[in-house]
Amino acid sequence: MAITIKLDDLLHDRRMTLTELADQVEMTLANLSILKTGKARAIRFSTLNAICGALSCQPGDILRFEPGEERAIKQ
Amino acid sequence: MNKLSAALPIARIVLRILIVLNWLGGAAILALLVAMPNEQWIMAAFKLSPSPDADRLIMGLRAVAALGLATIPLNYVVLKRLLAIVETVREGDPFVAANASRLQTIAWSLLALQLFSLVIGAIGKAVSTPAHPVHLDAGFSINGWLAVLLTFLLARVFAEGTLMREDLKGTV
Repeated sequence: MAITIKLDDLLHDRRMTLTELADQVEMTLANLSILKTGKARAIRFSTLNAICGALSCQPGDILRFEPGEERAIKQ
Repeated sequence: MNKLSAALPIARIVLRILIVLNWLGGAAILALLVAMPNEQWIMAAFKLSPSPDADRLIMGLRAVAALGLATIPLNYVVLKRLLAIVETVREGDPFVAANASRLQTIAWSLLALQLFSLVIGAIGKAVSTPAHPVHLDAGFSINGWLAVLLTFLLARVFAEGTLMREDLKGTV
């Protein structure tokens, strides 16, 4: 997948743990972990909304399109 | 909810009993087929006197018995797949690709059973005479064909539902 999740970087910048974020956005740690490790196949707008609210960021700060990743997968 | 939870064990027991009854029915038909070469015995059982009509009736009954025997494995396929579906409901995970495939198999088996029923009904009509009427519980059944159609549709619904569920699984 050419879409990568930059949740790790954001959490590091905000000095926040995944557990704290899970508490704030009222999601399970397991689901957030799936998102953080890039194993999720889709993300709901409501999830994106909650994370952006908790981390005071834009969706583009969390998601990034990296064409190189796509080529690597195709090869 | 209680009624639903009670329905599962009942369905399991009923299906298991039906599987046994199906095999017993098959054994009975097989025994009948083995006994049928004895025309004297059949003539006596049906109070027939030697005539072309009597020969036709015996031939027809043999054909019906042979076709009836062929439906036993089909019944088994339907019952066994249904039992497997009930097991997945009991385990709490019925919306899986395997159940869509099972329903598809059940639908094809029901279709074959309806075709057998048509042939058996036609044979019954062909050999029936005013002197010796043959009444078989077979032939065209609107409910039977509706069940075939519904099962094919249900299999498709399960297949689509399973795909949607797979998509949802990876959604956060």
